[in-house]
Amino acid sequence: MSKALSALCLTALSAAATPALAHHSFAMFDRSKQVSISGTVKDFQYTNPHSWVIVMVTAADGKETEWGFESEGPSTLLRAGIKPSSISPGDKVTALAFPMRDGRPAGSLISITKAGGQTLVFRAGAPPVGTELPGPK
Amino acid sequence: MRVWGWAAVLLLVGAGMTLPAEASGWRYDHAYASSWNEYQAMRAAAHGGTRMSWKRLPNWTGLWEHTGGFNFDPAQMGPRATAVLTPAYQKAYDEKLANIAKGIEWDPLSACLPAGYPRWLLEPFLREYILRPEQTWLVLEQNAEIRRVYTDNRGHVPADEAYPLWEGDSIGFWDGDTLVVHTTDLKAGQYQRLQPAYSDKASTVERIRKTGPDTIEDIVDVYDPLSLAKAWHVRHVYRRVKTPGLRINHWSCEENNNVVRTDNGSTSFLLPGEKGYRDPTAPGPAAAPPTTSPGAP
Repeated sequence: MSKALSALCLTALSAAATPALAHHSFAMFDRSKQVSISGTVKDFQYTNPHSWVIVMVTAADGKETEWGFESEGPSTLLRAGIKPSSISPGDKVTALAFPMRDGRPAGSLISITKAGGQTLVFRAGAPPVGTELPGPK
Repeated sequence: MRVWGWAAVLLLVGAGMTLPAEASGWRYDHAYASSWNEYQAMRAAAHGGTRMSWKRLPNWTGLWEHTGGFNFDPAQMGPRATAVLTPAYQKAYDEKLANIAKGIEWDPLSACLPAGYPRWLLEPFLREYILRPEQTWLVLEQNAEIRRVYTDNRGHVPADEAYPLWEGDSIGFWDGDTLVVHTTDLKAGQYQRLQPAYSDKASTVERIRKTGPDTIEDIVDVYDPLSLAKAWHVRHVYRRVKTPGLRINHWSCEENNNVVRTDNGSTSFLLPGEKGYRDPTAPGPAAAPPTTSPGAP
């Protein structure tokens, strides 16, 4: 299975089947939409109650915007094989997320695809990183 | 062989050891006027309860997680809770669901308050059971919420000392390998975000036991004269978490929480650069909790 197809399957599986575990309502997110944002990791906050991935995004006019992507907490991420070392400042990534309803630059993180093509799924119950997924070979 | 078998039994008794007691085989066949009445009936059926010792304690070691989703009754099929509510609590529940449908929702957990029991039963994250003959700790990773169940024959806190507690006041006894728990003195709360509320008059009876190598069940009867027209009978199942090397670490909700309540009573975030945002990477003590509306520069 190609890396792109694998990432697609992971995203579909996790987004459809597993709700995020959160200490707050999801009223602020528009779960009918997904956004794909590319940029450079500024910080991976491996924290409770939620981890956050901070990504700097540069527009065509050179203007920089700081995006924040909320994710699961450490024990849930560890179970998905996502470690504090899985993402580092300076990494080039593409984040897939449910965006904020009010248009501010943040979202509920679904997955991150690194420059090398590896996709990390940040949802509870996601198959651990490296799991062989069902689908066409 | 028969002679040797009897000799072994006599040897055990003589050495101060007793064979495991049989569980009472409790059956939920009729309703009770109160949780205390039901608890006392369970105790009578168990002939006062099994005298527990370190050697008799069942093995509930390991890490566990709740199964069955976010409904207080995991058997719930539709969008509404299965509880039979009093008219006042039914009205409040209807209004709550109507607001959520409009995108207006606030969870007290967002302000880093505990979930509290009985909501504790269905929160996600890791769990651990620490058993001693005289006391059992029921540990939830989230907000480091621990329920203590006293099994040393003490009673509840006297009425003139009692006040509402996040996890309530729990006493219990062993019926064979089943831990029977009575809990009272609860703080009012909600069973979950899409579930109804309960009052500080709620009380519960639980029967907790291991049903297999990797499953623990907790059968719960909730009584609440203010919110429930009849006791709410539910069954929760917890499964063993098998991720190698996983541990429960301290779970601090204040560590990285920038959730705020919006002017219309719903939920949002403060983001980096906005007024009141608390940077988790900033050195020094944590700043005061955010108080401003989201989006403020």
